[in-house]
Amino acid sequence: MSGDRLYAPTIPKGQVSPFSRRHFLWNSGGGLGAIALAWMLNRDSLKASGSPERSALQPHFAAKAKRVVQVFCAGGVSHLDTFDYKPELEKRDGKSLEGKGENLGFFGQPGRLMKSVYGFNQYGKSGAWVSSLLPHLSQCVDDVCFLHSMVAKSNNHTPAAFQMNSGFTLNGFPCLGSWLSYGLGTENENLPAFVVLPDPRGLPAGGSINWTSGFLPANHQGVAFRTQSGEPVPDLQTPKSISLSARLADMQMLSTMNREFAAGHPGDDAFAARLRAYELAAQMQASIPEATDLSSETEATQRMYGLDEPANKGFARNCLTARRLLERGVRFVQILNGGSFGSPRINWDGHENVKENHDAQALTMDKPVAALIQDLKQRGMFEDTLFVWSTEFGRSPATQGLGAPGRDHHPTAFTCFLAGAGVKKGMSYGTSDEIGYFAAENKVTIPDFHATILHLLGLNHEKLTFYHNGINRRLTDVHGQVIDGVLS
Amino acid sequence: MQKNSTSMQQQHSIGRFCKITFFICCLASNAIAQVDFAREVRPIFQEHCYECHGPDKQKSGYRLDVREVALKGGDMGEAAIVPKEAAKSPLFRFVNGDDDESLMPPKDSGKPRLTNEELKKIQTWLDEGAIWPDEFSGQKRQASSHWSLRPLVLPAAPNASSNAIDAFVHEKLAQQKLALSPETDRQTLIRRLSFDLIGLPPSPDEIDAFVSDRSSEAYQTLVDRLLASSHYGERWGRHWLDIARYTESQGFEYDRLRDNAWHYRDYVIKSFNNDKPYTEFMKEQIAGDVMEPMTQDGIVATSLLVCGPWDQAGNSQKNATQRAITREDELEDMIGVVGQSFLGLTVNCARCHAHKFDPIPHEEYYRIKSVFEGVKHGERGIATVEESKSHNLLQKELEIEIDRANKTMARIETEASKQAIAKRQSGSSEPGPVPFAKWTFDGTATEVMPGKLKGGAVIKKLEFDSGVLHLPKSGAFFETASLTKEIREKTLEAWVSLANLDQGGGAAIAIETGNGHTFDAIVFGEKQPKKWMAGSEGFSRTSELDTQEESSDPNTFIHVAIVYASDNSISLFRNGVPLGKPYTPTTPLVTFLAGDAHVLLGRRHTGGGRPWLTGEIKQAALYDRALSNEEVSASFRAGGFAATKAEVMASLTLEQSDNHSAALDNLQRAKRSLANLKKLPVSYTGVRVQPPITKRLKRGDVNSPDEDVTPGALSAVFELEPDFGLAADSPEKERRLKFADWLSDVRNPLPARVMANRVWHLHFGQGLVATPNDFGVSGERPSHPELLDWLAVKFAESGWSVKSLHRLIVHSATYRQASKHIDSAATIDADNRLLWRFVPRRLEAEAVRDAMLVASGQLSRNGGGPSFRPFTTTEFNATFYTPVDRDEPEFNRRTVYRINVNSGKDPLLDSFDCPDPSVKTPRRGVTTTPLQALELMNNAFVQRQASYLAQRAMRTANDDLSSAVETAYRLALGRTPNRAELIRAIAVAKERSLASICWALFNSTEFIYVR
Repeated sequence: MSGDRLYAPTIPKGQVSPFSRRHFLWNSGGGLGAIALAWMLNRDSLKASGSPERSALQPHFAAKAKRVVQVFCAGGVSHLDTFDYKPELEKRDGKSLEGKGENLGFFGQPGRLMKSVYGFNQYGKSGAWVSSLLPHLSQCVDDVCFLHSMVAKSNNHTPAAFQMNSGFTLNGFPCLGSWLSYGLGTENENLPAFVVLPDPRGLPAGGSINWTSGFLPANHQGVAFRTQSGEPVPDLQTPKSISLSARLADMQMLSTMNREFAAGHPGDDAFAARLRAYELAAQMQASIPEATDLSSETEATQRMYGLDEPANKGFARNCLTARRLLERGVRFVQILNGGSFGSPRINWDGHENVKENHDAQALTMDKPVAALIQDLKQRGMFEDTLFVWSTEFGRSPATQGLGAPGRDHHPTAFTCFLAGAGVKKGMSYGTSDEIGYFAAENKVTIPDFHATILHLLGLNHEKLTFYHNGINRRLTDVHGQVIDGVLS
Repeated sequence: MQKNSTSMQQQHSIGRFCKITFFICCLASNAIAQVDFAREVRPIFQEHCYECHGPDKQKSGYRLDVREVALKGGDMGEAAIVPKEAAKSPLFRFVNGDDDESLMPPKDSGKPRLTNEELKKIQTWLDEGAIWPDEFSGQKRQASSHWSLRPLVLPAAPNASSNAIDAFVHEKLAQQKLALSPETDRQTLIRRLSFDLIGLPPSPDEIDAFVSDRSSEAYQTLVDRLLASSHYGERWGRHWLDIARYTESQGFEYDRLRDNAWHYRDYVIKSFNNDKPYTEFMKEQIAGDVMEPMTQDGIVATSLLVCGPWDQAGNSQKNATQRAITREDELEDMIGVVGQSFLGLTVNCARCHAHKFDPIPHEEYYRIKSVFEGVKHGERGIATVEESKSHNLLQKELEIEIDRANKTMARIETEASKQAIAKRQSGSSEPGPVPFAKWTFDGTATEVMPGKLKGGAVIKKLEFDSGVLHLPKSGAFFETASLTKEIREKTLEAWVSLANLDQGGGAAIAIETGNGHTFDAIVFGEKQPKKWMAGSEGFSRTSELDTQEESSDPNTFIHVAIVYASDNSISLFRNGVPLGKPYTPTTPLVTFLAGDAHVLLGRRHTGGGRPWLTGEIKQAALYDRALSNEEVSASFRAGGFAATKAEVMASLTLEQSDNHSAALDNLQRAKRSLANLKKLPVSYTGVRVQPPITKRLKRGDVNSPDEDVTPGALSAVFELEPDFGLAADSPEKERRLKFADWLSDVRNPLPARVMANRVWHLHFGQGLVATPNDFGVSGERPSHPELLDWLAVKFAESGWSVKSLHRLIVHSATYRQASKHIDSAATIDADNRLLWRFVPRRLEAEAVRDAMLVASGQLSRNGGGPSFRPFTTTEFNATFYTPVDRDEPEFNRRTVYRINVNSGKDPLLDSFDCPDPSVKTPRRGVTTTPLQALELMNNAFVQRQASYLAQRAMRTANDDLSSAVETAYRLALGRTPNRAELIRAIAVAKERSLASICWALFNSTEFIYVR
């Protein structure tokens, strides 16, 4: 498949390209261009070294972060009821919404302005305002950098979720985790480079579309772990009907057959790659259950995440699992908070009553996420791990319908935060306007957000490209600027 | 690709491998310049300059997209470009000056300044003479010099005496002192050819026959047999479906199944099997529904345009801008698939600005958009005129019969209800139609489906009327017992007064399934403030109506009714008068089951957001039939005091009773016949509308429409007239017909080149052009340009027969050569671009699965028809898919018949790079991963086929283990085991089982590769 010419991130001059490993996993049919050339140049050194390296690919420049964990809150968290305090909205509570142009909501029934349904207080040395909804995350404000001026392209759940995940509002584009896997490879071959931990309450709308590798090769696809199941990955375990000793013997026989075949057909690296794939598969059969088994975690740790609380035992498990995966070198872990549809709702989509809805959602999200931040920090992992908290869009300062206590979708201002490697601490970047309707200062688009994440991982978002049907595709399309203001 | 001497030297210095690269580039180049305008300079202008100095704006009278103006300069009056002198060119000063104020782009433009790299390119380009090719001059049409756009002429083969393909290949090999490998052995050749042409392995008998057939026609006979097999279309049809981004679910938020998309898959398979001329195949997919004579195939063929993902939620949302963007995305997807599949051009890249690399101006994107602007997603009937006629006639007769019976019954019931009401103490003067179930709140018992007050609902006694259901706040509603009979066509009706008109989302009356997932309801103010609508799950049977807003005073009872007719039409009424126009939703009429469904008053459905209605309900009713307009009106006039069915039946005279039951008999018989009447087929071919005039959108922004655009095609195809001579408001079918003609005109050089390359690519694993969907400037250059043109011309000359193209290719020595790796050749041409061997290829996901089914003897060869669905679905606003593994013939059909849904992927197929169905995939990835190994190791399907293979082998071998092992090898790998393998396998089979051997065979590299 090296017809996809610009398959590789650009290699700094004078540096030996690290392609052997990836080429090894991705058997090339041939073709011209950068990748093929780079690989040809490198092939002799590969042969000399005798075995494929385990090292990851090289970033474009020195990276601050080696890995990323992203919490994604489905449904759209109200910025106005969490992190974006608006005294002016309090003053104008009950007044009509004026002078903001075309109605942006999904249902198109604006009511009157509504102040936050929670009280706000300042926390930490930084004095960041957080609502009473999030007692645990409010304790983390000095570790994070808020972005109060986020804007999304769509006011509709799935396109907005797709944009946060893949940079595009359409189906079929590779997700952030896939780009990282493609650009940086893996640090631990015994685990997938891109792991998704769906909320046990339900999958997001579109299911696996949310972690697709799109047009990138399938080995960069997100692997969704079913953390509540005995078998986190489908077909991981040897079928029960087959004894361990029989399977071992079968594997040995298979290995002999495949080795004989490779030896009988020398020169085709793909045949050797298959042998290695089986070794790695066998290792994954042990390493995935080990990584997802929480029994070795202390009771104190388990309690810190809230594993003992019925409201969040599923989501808390995923947060703790995420830490274990990061420790073991998984490049990108995405933790989904909330699924798509349920009754009552299982996400942050507070159309009817934002207080009732957010109360219930925060109960699952607040404590485990705060614990994950603290845990990463206390283990020193914040040095080289980037933490991302994100959602689809915000919620409207006006109610949805007159006299109703809910808020509709709102794409033109919302809040996300970053923390950890390379990110300023105890800081807020950008603002929304006086009532949180539009982003005001330092608007941050999702391409900007993605460019910054890639930057922190040592990747130039304009150079991380993949040729597909006429275009050198990027995560950031033709947009995106690194937000220098959040970099430490 | 134009290369200059310096870069050539650089390439030389990199090493010997690059000689090949240079050599190929050199063939394609026709000018010597360091910097290429189209590839390197124009994109910079496009990104930084055209917004203010392009088609939309010409600040200071200057534009940089038209060569003459760009050279001459704008309002400043001096030449902006001085060829060969960058330093003297004002253009360069403007982008590379010291004066921050005058430097371009202006600092308040939000655009970044040019990078040093970009400046260097512009400088070099200017110094070299500002070479600006004609086709980018932005003025009158010029023939493009780009290789793929040049007219197609038959190149002379280098050696007339041999096979032309081999002669072309040999010529390039010889230049590098390389040669073709010898022909491969017959056992390998038949396996290769069989997988290539039909996607299935040859049987042991077929292998034996071919290996022992020493006649000179043996190979030709084999090729002919495989091409004549119906499995051929299944194989090559699947390749086309990759390109067509064929999906059987909508993708996006709801990802609903498309039950009727499979007709297109069958059309594609049939077209390949029948060797339909490729020009026909193209034309049908563009305009088959409007070509004469109209055929079912023609209608189905146009599914190409809409068989990709569709954003249902985005199309139904309130925000007009976002809705328009959703539609533009849809059209870009259509233009993308047409441009890439047939022309190998990424026309879709010109949506926001002129194509960055190819000579495709911005307005031409919109001309082509105008061609397809009338195509929308959705299902339509695909029956022929005759079929429809006789069907409709029969249907009409039955409907008349039903109508007659209904009217008779209604008349009798009306008469009887007068009597019934007269029996009462007091009542209204005029009786209405008789409902199946009715709820009043006057203290009389409800016979059918009694209900309960919930969440604070109360019965309020009124002074004159007897009583009403009072719903004082959110959460209050009335829920009935389950249905006592199955309901399909129906009428919902209520007398309701709204507490206020600002409320939204509640329903006067709803009928829903027991779990609340599916419902029909009379909903107020949910999608449009103050308007009534027919509510349904995910708005699937809901339409926004063009009506007045509700303005009734609070506490005034109004009569609302919705009629759901058997033809799936939905009509709304307010106070007996139609509300908006009746409409037919795209999803079918729901069947509500007895014992499951129930009725709600005051609540839209269980589980929905904001479902509450506040106000009062005087009476509500459910009819088990569709009321006529007159009946609804009568019911309104009756004022909500209709007699119950029981009352009516009790009041029938003997004669009335006889007539009533006779009419009921007729009704039931006619309904049964109607139900048994075979439905006319529908398919997801898209629907057509006459669109509004297409306007060019500045920067692709839906809120910045510019000039009107007329339908047309690409001016880059120089031999053809791009203007169709159609008006901007011409009928949409004319547009597509013209486009189909333009596309398939023999003077259009692209389709033949693109398809010849696809076929070559799929035989060899790489195309002569390595980017099969991109024959533009940024795509790869052909490795063998003359060979590609030769194939393209031969293809067209054969009457566009794809099968003859296969024959040309597979009969060549190039195709038949051995796959053995040769180190010395690899050092010269590691990628085998020059074809010194046949590169071993991994089987695609479908072929892996199908080959296992063939070997195990379990393959069900039933072709066509609805797809098999190896999952269960859960509906909750969206569709969720849970895979299931079933050992049944239906599920053992070829993988091409597996339903192709976006979010319901199969882990085994996925691990073998089965593409995301929403992605246009001209070339599949080939990965080797641990997850793939895990699938082959543990997947239940693989385990099961391994056991079946073992059983089959034992049966065939009459339980002789040694010959069973041989059989298993022959079935799986197409060869007998050697002695060492046999001894080892027998030992293993004795110690464990033959299934262990079969499992290992399916996991073996030899099985999943063709050589």
